[in-house]
Amino acid sequence: MAQAEVKPDDIVLEVGTGSGYVASSIQDCRMVFATDINPHAVLSAHERGIQVVRTDLIAGLRRIFSLILFNPPYIPTRPDERCHDWLEYALDGGPDGRGPLTRFLDQVADVLIPGGRVLIVISSLQYFEKCEEIFKKTGFSYTIADHEILEDGEELRIYRLKRD
Amino acid sequence: MKRELYDILCCPVCKGDLELKVTEENDIEIITGSLICHACSVTYPIEDGIPNLLPQNI
Repeated sequence: MAQAEVKPDDIVLEVGTGSGYVASSIQDCRMVFATDINPHAVLSAHERGIQVVRTDLIAGLRRIFSLILFNPPYIPTRPDERCHDWLEYALDGGPDGRGPLTRFLDQVADVLIPGGRVLIVISSLQYFEKCEEIFKKTGFSYTIADHEILEDGEELRIYRLKRD
Repeated sequence: MKRELYDILCCPVCKGDLELKVTEENDIEIITGSLICHACSVTYPIEDGIPNLLPQNI
């Protein structure tokens, strides 16, 4: 899905790349970069040959990206459920599942060039309508680029966001 | 990190320029070094070829 979105002129950023699997699959664009806050993830992504930065979301990056990919942590997690390890950090979406998503959208315009796109994975556990409200509030228009219904009934959508 | 990665980095706090100091470099990339924000008086390390822009203890 990510590859289908990529254009030859794109400078691509994957936020929260994890093992770097998605970022390493992207071809036929100008450049690909990735971030993750997890020390194990950045080592794994670096071993795949990805240009990776250890940082919180997009902190410390300049405004050069035309396509940004993000599959945010989204599992609704109560404070008393937290165990504070790196795996949890990759999944924990805050009490309503929309914590990292909201923080990302508040900042992403700082690194996205005019006309740039964001591809973001959203789960029905985060409530699509609530997420769409956040997109609008942060100045993005959106379309649904793809969707999939999992065996347990959870739906995943890939939203394509643009800033008008 | 390759040199081209340096071009896209700035201070995560003040967004200002970072000075690159290379300690170890091979044919491909910078292995260890530091990225210094003079405005914030903070040094961000480069280790194992990866720049670390997380908040540092001053």
